[in-house]
Amino acid sequence: MMADATPTPRISSTTLWLLAPGVIWMVLFLVLPILMIVYVSFWTQTTFNISPTPTLASWKQFFASDTYTGSLWTTVRIWLIILGLTFVIGYPTALYVGLFVKSKTLSTVLLVICVIPFWTSFLIRVLAWRPMLGKEGAINIILQKLRIISQPIEVLLFTELSVIIGMTQIYVVFMVGPVAFMLGRIDRNIIEAARDLGAGFGRIFWKIIFPLSLPGVVVGAIFVSVMVLGEFATSGALSGRKVNLLGNIIVTQVGSLKWAMASVVGVILTVFMGVVIAGFLRIVDLKREL
Amino acid sequence: MSGESRAGDMNMATETEIFRLDGVTKRYGDVLALDGVSLTAGANEYISLLGPSGSGKTTILRVLAGFEMPDMGRVHFQGRDITALPAHERGIGFVFQNFALFPHLTVAQNVAFGLTHGAAPLPQSDRDARCRAMIAMVGLDGLQDRGVDQISGGQRQRVALARTLVMQPRLVLLDEPLGALDANLRGRMRNELRSIREQMGVTFLHVTGSETEALAMGDRVVVLDSGRIIQTGTPDQVYDAPASPEVAHFLNRFNLFDGTLSGGTFTGPFGTVPVRAARKAARDVYAVRYDRVQVKPALAAHDGPALRAKFVASEYLGSSIMNFFETPDHQVLEVEHHLSLGAPDTFEPRQDYLLTWNPEQAIVFGRETA
Repeated sequence: MMADATPTPRISSTTLWLLAPGVIWMVLFLVLPILMIVYVSFWTQTTFNISPTPTLASWKQFFASDTYTGSLWTTVRIWLIILGLTFVIGYPTALYVGLFVKSKTLSTVLLVICVIPFWTSFLIRVLAWRPMLGKEGAINIILQKLRIISQPIEVLLFTELSVIIGMTQIYVVFMVGPVAFMLGRIDRNIIEAARDLGAGFGRIFWKIIFPLSLPGVVVGAIFVSVMVLGEFATSGALSGRKVNLLGNIIVTQVGSLKWAMASVVGVILTVFMGVVIAGFLRIVDLKREL
Repeated sequence: MSGESRAGDMNMATETEIFRLDGVTKRYGDVLALDGVSLTAGANEYISLLGPSGSGKTTILRVLAGFEMPDMGRVHFQGRDITALPAHERGIGFVFQNFALFPHLTVAQNVAFGLTHGAAPLPQSDRDARCRAMIAMVGLDGLQDRGVDQISGGQRQRVALARTLVMQPRLVLLDEPLGALDANLRGRMRNELRSIREQMGVTFLHVTGSETEALAMGDRVVVLDSGRIIQTGTPDQVYDAPASPEVAHFLNRFNLFDGTLSGGTFTGPFGTVPVRAARKAARDVYAVRYDRVQVKPALAAHDGPALRAKFVASEYLGSSIMNFFETPDHQVLEVEHHLSLGAPDTFEPRQDYLLTWNPEQAIVFGRETA
């Protein structure tokens, strides 16, 4: 110890020990698996076997097949629709809960009400839409009893519409939460100051309230995007196999032991999510805002 | 352009009256915040609104600005009834206690907000010129492009002021505008507020909880207690002749004694003294200003009011020394000694002294007026 007297700038051993568990965990269960997926996507796949001989066959197959590229576009389309709907439905809700409700207690109660559906399991929440939307489901029965329609609406279940309804219901709360949080932090005096300077509600909303809530919108959009892009259960349960997202392709490919193709889709999905998140983070500097 | 036309309309309206509150009453649940307040302000006037916290002074500003609707009474501004007019159509300036700057905008954008997004937006070139002039006037040159979280408290105060004044309002409401500043800065901003107001010729209604601030700043001081105006007058009127024991107490310049006033004499802990004149009040109170009290040795001869009290401590205030005495019935009395009148006497802690004063200089409040 005495010989080692030269003071070298180094990270203290405590810091290293505190970092180690997290770093080891992330390397073992995130970095290595991702590298593995990238590696496997170049393996050679035969009907019942897979060998590590490098080949571009699976990649070529993905981009040559209408089924696969079609599912990529379906995923992008559904993602954009859900993102739009969760924003259009979630933002006004958040505006009400976070800004217009003056009592803190009431706004907490309302937020808890938004979260209550999460006390049941994901699959039950998805499957509960079947008796709601089905040909002899609640909506059709009620509409028929009220004599608004004579024939049941069949487009409600096992279509893209039912997937959109189901996903919007499940994910809208992830938009409401962060936005309501940011709106709740806005100093009411600021809004009064803007009014005092002669700005009407529209101006105040677009120039003050919306910019100040933007970090919440970005966080909410990231939550929704990550979850929707990785979705397979809702589309599986509510589309009657008509809507195939990239997630569904992965599930099918893994199910039939097509590891190479599953890896190709996995890599494409991961890269796409990375680009989406990086894009959202460019809109606001979250480190500064939160 | 619109600013000038607004100024033109102004001259058409009543020349002296800027705003008038008629019997304004405001309730928050069970709390009566304003109880029939009537107040008139002239053009180019500096009014201090003084009162303890919870006296309703901020509520008066909020009713005037249009953030709160009065439950009863009317609000007039420049000869027009604006009771039902929404806040953004009133054209009354408001400076918030916490400044309420727009956190995502720069200094220049904050100042330009009203001219850009207000009721009558100006063309870019007029707007820029007016904002530049205003920023220079409040001494913020060179900080235009800073974010409002990158400037000091005093600079934020100036931004808040500039943002309001650039609209050229005829009336500016200031809600404890100096409360968030340190003592040194507060003194400097007081002078600046006054000189800016004189340059612009607008009426300021300045809410404060500090009696020194109210007396120093206002051409007129309005004292508020429990939602009622209890005195209005020039600073020296209020200081020298408080209208009620509450005002005297709130000015923090008077030793107050409870007692009984009857037949031209006041009986209190200091004995019975003749009273020449008494002001009408709900209870009998005898008030002696801190700097009118003399301290004598305990056994000194005296005639007139006198009170034995123990010396507790003293506080050095720069231009004067405040000595604290405690009477046998545990009332703390303050005696101020101006250092310009000579070196202070030193007192022994826990020793008895005799406090006395010239009864002519006392102010007496009573249910009967002698």
